[in-house]
Amino acid sequence: MDGVAHHLAFWPLAVITVGAALGILVSRNLIHAMVMLILSFIGVAGLYLLLSAEFIAVVQILVYVGAISVLMLFAILLTPRAARDNAETAMRYPGLILMGLVIAATVFVALETDWSVVREEPVTESARVIGRSLINEFVLPFEIAAVLLTAALVGAVALARRDDEDIDAHEESLTLEGQDDSGGSS
Amino acid sequence: MTIGLEHFLVLGALLFGVGLYVALAKRNAIGVLMGVELMLNAINLTLVAFGRFVESEVELSTSVFVVFIIAVAAAEIAVGLALAMVVYRNRDTINIDRVNLLRW
Repeated sequence: MDGVAHHLAFWPLAVITVGAALGILVSRNLIHAMVMLILSFIGVAGLYLLLSAEFIAVVQILVYVGAISVLMLFAILLTPRAARDNAETAMRYPGLILMGLVIAATVFVALETDWSVVREEPVTESARVIGRSLINEFVLPFEIAAVLLTAALVGAVALARRDDEDIDAHEESLTLEGQDDSGGSS
Repeated sequence: MTIGLEHFLVLGALLFGVGLYVALAKRNAIGVLMGVELMLNAINLTLVAFGRFVESEVELSTSVFVVFIIAVAAAEIAVGLALAMVVYRNRDTINIDRVNLLRW
């Protein structure tokens, strides 16, 4: 990747992605942080396109930008009495130190290791290759992922729905009492 | 200078670090989940970069892993947000400093 176009694509996308992530870190308002997170997701999708992974880029837009962001925005809006601010806990300074150490260690490893970079041209038609792998080598994880998603869906619904058996029982007893009253008076 | 594997690895490291800080230090439970999502995105970016630049036995197996990670992340975020809603309904707050029912 050594064209001017690659530089023109990479550096703005990198600045958008990391800048939006830093925006989450410093933003005082949770809604603003959420918008920054969506911007960061879009930047990562652009980087996937730059890496010739079109299928992953589309999935990123569909799942992260489309579904997960909307889910999190709804969760923010459905907790109105919770604090809207995006402040830090007492873990602030230990977190900053840990963040610096993790970044320093991984950047050092990434730059010092002699990666055996052998592929010059990207794989074309990545969607076809991924689809073939999913039904050949990775068919068992694929099925397990389906079960996991179903279980997570059922679990999320079971957790988030109101426990309305008590309400039903209460209403039933009320109607029964009402019938008894009307029967007694007539 | 050409854009190579190292560029994407350093970018992934930066994203992961910021996500780690957000997940550790934010007070709001939804903010913590945002940090987790950032970390997962950084890992996906690193995996896709390796798939682009390094040959493997099974072609694009890294991208298949990324698809699985996205599926698991979607499941995780659905359950996590449902838990946040339950905690909010019971305690009227999702400030993780004040949700200390399991504290000894």
